[in-house]
Amino acid sequence: MDEFQEILQDFLVESFELVEQLDQDLIELESTPEDLELLNGIFRVAHTVKGASSFLNFDVLTHLTHHMENVLNKARHGELVITPDIMDVVLESIDLMKALLNTIRDTSSDAGIDVAACVIRLDKVSGGDGDVPKVESTSAPAEEASTEEISVEENAEEELDYDNMSDEDVEAEIQKLLAERQEEDKAKRAAKIAAGESVPDAPPSPDEVVKDTPAPPPVAKKAKPKNETPKAAPPVKKTATVEQTIRVDVKRLDHLMNLIGELVLAKNRLIKINDDVEERYEGEEFLEELNQVVSIVSLVTTDLQIAVMKTRMLPIGKVFNKFPRMIRDLTRELNKKIELEISGEDTELDKSIVEEIGDPLVHIIRNSCDHGIETPDIRVAAGKEEGGIISLKAYNEGNQIVIQIDDDGKGLDADILKDKAIEKGLISEKEADNMSDKEAFLLIMRPGFSTAAAVTNVSGRGVGMDVVKTNIEKVNGIVDIESELGKGTSLKLKIPLTLAIIQALLVGVQEETYAIPLASVLETVRISIDEVYTVEGKSVMRLREDVLSLVHISDIFEVERIMSSKEYAYVVVLGLGTQKIGLIVDTLVGQEEIVIKSLGDYLKGIEGVAGATIRGDGGVTLIVDVVALMDMAKNVKVSAINSASNAEAVSTEKTKASDYIVMIVDDSKTDRTIMTKALKPLGITLVEAGDGQEALSLLKQGDHNFDAMLIDIEMPRMDGYTLAIEIKKYSRYKNLPLIAVTSRTGKSDRMRGVESGMIEYITKPYSPDYLSSVVQRNVNFKSEFLS
Amino acid sequence: MSDKLKEIINKQSDQQNPDVTNLDDIVQLVGFIIGDEEYAIPILAIQEIIKPFPWTRVPQVPAYVKGVFNMRGSVIPLIDLRLKFGLNEQKHNDETRFIVMKVGDEVAGFVIDRLTMALRIKKQNIGPAPDTVNTEDSLIDGVGKEEDRIITILKADKLLKRDF
Repeated sequence: MDEFQEILQDFLVESFELVEQLDQDLIELESTPEDLELLNGIFRVAHTVKGASSFLNFDVLTHLTHHMENVLNKARHGELVITPDIMDVVLESIDLMKALLNTIRDTSSDAGIDVAACVIRLDKVSGGDGDVPKVESTSAPAEEASTEEISVEENAEEELDYDNMSDEDVEAEIQKLLAERQEEDKAKRAAKIAAGESVPDAPPSPDEVVKDTPAPPPVAKKAKPKNETPKAAPPVKKTATVEQTIRVDVKRLDHLMNLIGELVLAKNRLIKINDDVEERYEGEEFLEELNQVVSIVSLVTTDLQIAVMKTRMLPIGKVFNKFPRMIRDLTRELNKKIELEISGEDTELDKSIVEEIGDPLVHIIRNSCDHGIETPDIRVAAGKEEGGIISLKAYNEGNQIVIQIDDDGKGLDADILKDKAIEKGLISEKEADNMSDKEAFLLIMRPGFSTAAAVTNVSGRGVGMDVVKTNIEKVNGIVDIESELGKGTSLKLKIPLTLAIIQALLVGVQEETYAIPLASVLETVRISIDEVYTVEGKSVMRLREDVLSLVHISDIFEVERIMSSKEYAYVVVLGLGTQKIGLIVDTLVGQEEIVIKSLGDYLKGIEGVAGATIRGDGGVTLIVDVVALMDMAKNVKVSAINSASNAEAVSTEKTKASDYIVMIVDDSKTDRTIMTKALKPLGITLVEAGDGQEALSLLKQGDHNFDAMLIDIEMPRMDGYTLAIEIKKYSRYKNLPLIAVTSRTGKSDRMRGVESGMIEYITKPYSPDYLSSVVQRNVNFKSEFLS
Repeated sequence: MSDKLKEIINKQSDQQNPDVTNLDDIVQLVGFIIGDEEYAIPILAIQEIIKPFPWTRVPQVPAYVKGVFNMRGSVIPLIDLRLKFGLNEQKHNDETRFIVMKVGDEVAGFVIDRLTMALRIKKQNIGPAPDTVNTEDSLIDGVGKEEDRIITILKADKLLKRDF
């Protein structure tokens, strides 16, 4: 049974591939009915499916394909001209065949689909009287098939009841048939050679055929190959292009992708550690070696990532393939003349994305056919060609794939769209007035919008285009529409190559970092605060000729403003379709490859957050959802870039000497003790820190309201200057007196001290009294506390 | 096999596992303190207990959701039980711990003030939650009595359920 399952699997895989090919070939055939090569190819497909299905006892399928084969056989012998009507029947039968294959895949049996009507039509087309015995899936119709077939082959005298023959008889019969056929072949070959054509190798000897073909049941199958050998012979062309493939479960690839994701994170972390080590051990010899290893690891990781990504890539042709057939059906249904031009079907996309874009493309193309392309008489009246052209293109553009669907139809009318949207209550009249044509085009993507006056079977139910938008956005893609009235419409779907790992721009705001998908970033600009204007309660700035509306990232993500705003800010210009917005951030951190992780069920659906990623330092960074951010920005009033809350007065009334709190920052325990001793007599509270970082985290904890800080300059991890600069970033410490206590006496050192925000400069050694007096002066020490 | 032999074997295995008979009646819990009260969570709902860890704030969530943190490559929400239970926020100190709970596919870290101990409480010593709080949505599973203490037993699955 297992063996059977295996064969069945192979059969299904093969059949589906063949059927896909069949669809395309048939459409092509309709335009070039004389193309014998094509006809032969199609015939072979039908035949192969028939042969295999009869072997597997799928009688309904065999019955159907058999009749298809008849029609095609007649056609290729020139007894039948393929007219659109015949093609309709053939296509219908192919649809049935697909349905049957699907049923077989799901249930391992081909019961449940009635093919009788179609078979009768096929039979009529092929010249029969339509009187075809009905086949039940359980019965064995092999004999019917063979008889019919043979009659078509004009071998009427061989109408034998194979079922009742003994094995030897069958064998003999086969030998006889083969011999006959070979005779014919020889004759034909001779004729061909005479005509100067190259002929493939002689068909396999009868013995081989008998051995190769599945042993007992379908005699029909064996009778057939002989028929096709002359022209079809071993498909030479195909073997040349056969690709070596292994079928792999998608789950395994997904798992591999996850592992690569982890590896990318580890790589990022390694790079960060390398940078740190480099800083600390500058000039050491082993650094170079470490550097080399790190760069090799990062290079290989990137290559590996690309390689694994490629294993998941499928040519977009998989999706495009079904459209020629669809267009054909639509043209007949709508009485229009439409031609489909496809290019770039080799462009590759992640499998999961390929699966997602199928439906949107169907909707778009249906729409183009139904609403875009006009009927022939209207087109002629407008001075256009009678037949419309829809072109479907796919190409790479940077990190994205662009799928472009152009039609040369009537184009979109912005005014009509606006009126319609107002009528349906989707937008207000005021909004409509402010709308550019491009924005108006995007209205067709709104839910509940449909411009077709009459709802047709094809489109116009008002569901299609918004499905397009949601599906494309689901894969982080964007939809762009351009249209010219009377000339046509062009739709562009821009889709990222893959879902799991993206390039991101990391931006900093206050102490937080966010990742913005680079695909949505148009540019970044550094602006000074006074370049920001306020218009109707919204911040805007001029960006070259345009006015760009601005929103501060901290307004979107409720970031607490603990650090004072600087004179300069950065604006990240985000673009989504035609919408643009400037996002104000404090710093640009850099560009990084990030692995998208979900926030899990507990935190899902947070507006503006698309997910999270783990950074090189092991911390979590949130990923901005640009689509949602654009929406949220509309509701944010006045961006408060100028109105950063100024330092709240921390000076609470001092009632005793110990209310004064001073921090001593020095890496030397001795120095700290000396300072402590000098200040002890004042009775003030002293807090010690061993270096700049410790001091900073003490400040951040906010356990104490410090009145002053004594800072040594030379310290490990973070020196005094850096500490001072960091401290001054926080608005609440703007006025905190910072006193440098150092043995550095150079003028430039003093200058640096002043630049970094120190207000006093005490040089070591100093007298305890001097230190005490400087501290007293700076904390406004009340003299009454002096004992 | 004679009945006698069976009896002996049974007896032996009984002797080897003296607790076997009443294991089913015992609930194993991990106790911890939030504010002034002692709470407990079934030990099977706990994936691990870790020392405080840096986390990333997440916008637009209630205050008790502190944010997310990275636990060996997974992004996990962090929930402060002090805030969730309406107490004031407290600085993390040496005794503060994150309890990472897992029920089904749901994982989250919970900030607690300090751990007490692993508890084995007999089922008969666990009473129902007080009527006033005993509703479907209640976080309280029951109240355990252990010598002189009263321990509130929480429902891990309810804690892990998003309620905003």
